[in-house]
Amino acid sequence: MTERPQNQLDEATLDLLIKQVTDGLAPAEQRELDVLDSGVASEWRRELERAAAAINLAGSTDASPLPAALARTIARQAEQHFASVRHATEPTAAAADRKIASLEAERAAASLQRVPPSYGNRNGIYGWLAAAACLLLAAIGWLRGPVETVPPSAQVSPAAVVAPAEKPLTPPTPAEQRDALLAKAGSIKITLGGTKDSGSAGMSGDVVWDPATQRGYMHFTGLAANDPSIHQYQIWIFDSTRDKHFPVDGGVFDVPANAVEVVIPIRATLMVRKPAAFAVTVEKPGGTVVSGREHVVALGAAG
Amino acid sequence: MSPSVLQRIASGDTAAVRDCMQEYGPLVWSIARRLSRTPADAEDATQEIFLDIWRSAARFDASQGSDKVFIAMIARRRLIDRLRKTSAEPPMDPVESLEAVAWADPGTASETSVEAEQAAKALAELRPEQRQVLELGLLHGLSQSEIATRLEIPLGTVKSFMRRGLIKVRELMNIDAEGVSAST
Repeated sequence: MTERPQNQLDEATLDLLIKQVTDGLAPAEQRELDVLDSGVASEWRRELERAAAAINLAGSTDASPLPAALARTIARQAEQHFASVRHATEPTAAAADRKIASLEAERAAASLQRVPPSYGNRNGIYGWLAAAACLLLAAIGWLRGPVETVPPSAQVSPAAVVAPAEKPLTPPTPAEQRDALLAKAGSIKITLGGTKDSGSAGMSGDVVWDPATQRGYMHFTGLAANDPSIHQYQIWIFDSTRDKHFPVDGGVFDVPANAVEVVIPIRATLMVRKPAAFAVTVEKPGGTVVSGREHVVALGAAG
Repeated sequence: MSPSVLQRIASGDTAAVRDCMQEYGPLVWSIARRLSRTPADAEDATQEIFLDIWRSAARFDASQGSDKVFIAMIARRRLIDRLRKTSAEPPMDPVESLEAVAWADPGTASETSVEAEQAAKALAELRPEQRQVLELGLLHGLSQSEIATRLEIPLGTVKSFMRRGLIKVRELMNIDAEGVSAST
């Protein structure tokens, strides 16, 4: 039988590999492994990982199912992921449309930067302009992005609505929770503005968001009532660390006919690391995974 | 032979996502709870693991092992990565609860998977203290140093036990063990 020296592994390398698959390696250890590796470490790593995984299987005799809420979240994330994959592999007109939007945004950003700062720190102004340009780029790109036919988003439980006439409930109302969140250190408040869409006429609102707990509330006055059997409002969160074409779904909600003021809990389906903007669209009942963006009724950018 | 659930996911079968969660959700959830510091961490980790599964499904090679092992490998990688990035606190299972861990019986583990059967057989051949080291490290997520401290044994002994256990399982999984003898 032919000798296979490529499979030989010294003890130091094996120890590092075992630590890698059981504990993980510190950067210095990883560098050491990189130096010691004669080319077979990745194969060994895979085999040791299989052995460790098999031991986990032998030791995981309990079979509790995923909690229902967690399973729903994972299902929604899967929808978003596969929609994103489909979008990324989609050629042609959609990409061209986004390219045009991108160029327009660049032009808009350039025109913003040509405005001479009239006061204050120049770096601060340029920083603000850069942020504004990024937001504009994201918003235009998103608003002019492709319309896709996608499966409906999994139904999120209806958002809580507070009407002035309602009696306070024993647990804190969404409005009280919003106030508490607003008072919390680290939370941010963003003003929501209307758009050219007729659905935003007379609407004003804001967002309170706490990056630490990933909780937030939208507060509206004057947002038109909807018929949930025909359409629902859907919240979107732009995360500057993610693809701007795929804002994070924040859940769907309704505004009843008698509501003057509503406070809506935001139910982000993904971790929002750097919230750049919040938006509300009108969608079919149950919402959508990727918005067609025909009706954007509220938009607000982080400062 | 019908395609595995991972192969179906890779081919774009959207129904396979639900099947995957149904079939492997309990496994991922079990591993995540054991190797996370808090219940909230376990939930976050489980979400990340499933995203990793969707992304990695196309790399699954049925000739290299079962869906279950592939998914357990993905789960372990993610959880180890998370453990390294967070504080030095141990995962949420206290060592005192070790009695609660039940290894699969070698005679029945094949119901779980062939690999679980092989692992159970290999573990049955190890000395109790070696098995305990593997249990603390792989099922409870303790680092080698933490195991040494908890069991009051030298770190080198922990490494040795861990190495023997893993290689024993590796051998029983019909993986070429050439070159290992010098290291064991």
